[in-house]
Amino acid sequence: MVRDMAGEILNISNLHVSVEGTEIIKGLSLAISKGEVHAIMGRNGSGKSTLANVLMGHPAYQITSGEISYYGQPLEELEVFERARAGMFLSFQYPSVLPGVKVGTFLKKSIEAVRGEAVKQKDFRNQLKAAMALLDMDRSFLSRYVNDGFSGGEKKRLEILQLVLLQPSLAILDETDSGLDIDALKIVSKGINQVIPQAGCIVITHYQRLLEHVKADYVHVMIDGKIVKSGGPDLAHKLEEQGYDWLEAKA
Amino acid sequence: MSYIEMSPPPRAKHLWRYTPWEKIKPQDGVPVADKVLFSIDGDIALQSGAPRAVLESDIARVFLSEIGGSSHTLHIDGDFGLIHIQAKASGHVAAGHLHIDCKGSSTVILHLTGEADWSGLYVSGEVADNCKLAYGFVNELSNDCKLLHCEDWAVGRDAVMEIAALSVGGSRCKSDVRTALIGSGGSLKQAVTVHGLGSRHIDNHIEIDHKVANCNSRLVVNSACAGSSRSITTGLLKVAEGANLTDAGQVFRNLLLSDKARADSIPELEVLADEVKAAHGAASSPVNPEQVHYLMSRGHSPQQAETLIVEGFLIDAFSNLRDSDLKDVLATRMTVHLECELKR
Repeated sequence: MVRDMAGEILNISNLHVSVEGTEIIKGLSLAISKGEVHAIMGRNGSGKSTLANVLMGHPAYQITSGEISYYGQPLEELEVFERARAGMFLSFQYPSVLPGVKVGTFLKKSIEAVRGEAVKQKDFRNQLKAAMALLDMDRSFLSRYVNDGFSGGEKKRLEILQLVLLQPSLAILDETDSGLDIDALKIVSKGINQVIPQAGCIVITHYQRLLEHVKADYVHVMIDGKIVKSGGPDLAHKLEEQGYDWLEAKA
Repeated sequence: MSYIEMSPPPRAKHLWRYTPWEKIKPQDGVPVADKVLFSIDGDIALQSGAPRAVLESDIARVFLSEIGGSSHTLHIDGDFGLIHIQAKASGHVAAGHLHIDCKGSSTVILHLTGEADWSGLYVSGEVADNCKLAYGFVNELSNDCKLLHCEDWAVGRDAVMEIAALSVGGSRCKSDVRTALIGSGGSLKQAVTVHGLGSRHIDNHIEIDHKVANCNSRLVVNSACAGSSRSITTGLLKVAEGANLTDAGQVFRNLLLSDKARADSIPELEVLADEVKAAHGAASSPVNPEQVHYLMSRGHSPQQAETLIVEGFLIDAFSNLRDSDLKDVLATRMTVHLECELKR
């Protein structure tokens, strides 16, 4: 695939990130353009989720050196909510429970927060209906409290429902496939694929199975806080067959 | 004994430790109170007058019985839907007594508003055998009002009562709500929410008295305190001798939104029966930063995120109630209150 530099959304250059004084990401560079899907794979503790969290501005993660630019603007200048309003979206690996906050209310308020304007109830209803149909979700979901008593799969579906409704420019999906059965994985993938044409996408995953439904343009392997290997979709197949040992030896 | 013969209760008494009587009574002795004006929506009317069976050992109830003001009774005979009662407190000192006599099924919401410097409200009621009452109390007084508020309820055999309270008004409020389960098979679910802003001082005393066997009760109190506000909740669960097979639970949760806010929860148990389940727990914490981060990642500013978390926390107190009208009305009033506060 020939990279479209003009459509570049995110550029990460020699990024170093620490958590409580421990360096987790140790010099990572990555560029993402509109319509591209970048899969990031790697063992537990390799720094994949740290990358997702630092991109979304989690306060526990400190950038010690390097740069991240989002549409050419230094990302660190943006507060977390400003990143969301600028079109960034993180599908959390472990989304927070919000007792007492109904899913329907949360979704409407989040759309309004991201767009910066009130949404007509009728328009919201129509968008919601279409998105829930795409993800095969029951309307009873809307009157439940956000993630309160949800199964792992339900939490992931709600994350992808938000992805579809918020229509971000950059989607970061942190292990969205974990906790999903085969049917749910297919359904969730439909939601992701709907968003991809208008967005850049980082898919963090352990398994090749998500990439059977969401086609990655690039596959990157992280070991010890660095991308040690990049390639096309074949790389994911090779990892599935051979594991990470051969790359670890090289690293 | 009349009020004038009573000595002010010492602060050593559990009930008066956190809000001394001197701080909550009107400052000018026993004034003649204006009437709290009650009005009712719907096809049912309020009757003038209310029965008074005053607990003579309690200074607040004796005071409220002597101060005058208005008194009305709501008779519920048969099945009614949602009934709204407006209670407006105006002038310097205003007082009122509402009695609810439930011999059927209904949802009654009492909305207290107004700007009286001092308001006194006494609510009493009975839920007859096999009857059902869902009762909500919404305190939306102006921010500089004082409120003394007492309630006494009796729940009969196989009767079901749900009580929900929302306290968002007044600068200094003392509420004392007591419910006696007097018939076997009686059930009580009670939820109280408090939103402390500025320097509000909100003292809730909640007594649930299991007088007979085979009754159940659940109490949830959620308080969110900001600024230099203070919330105190004292809960007393009594299980009388012979009230065997009682099933009772009480949970008190506090959300502290500033360094200067304070919230105290003091559950107490008096159990004199056998084979009793009587669980209670209390917890206080600041807003969870992970919840704030999650909401900010969805475009909410830090203030919007906190408001949504507080709203959810307070509404969550009503989760265990079954009456959907009761839950919806109180949740709506809570949302309106918080949206108004967010715009200030």
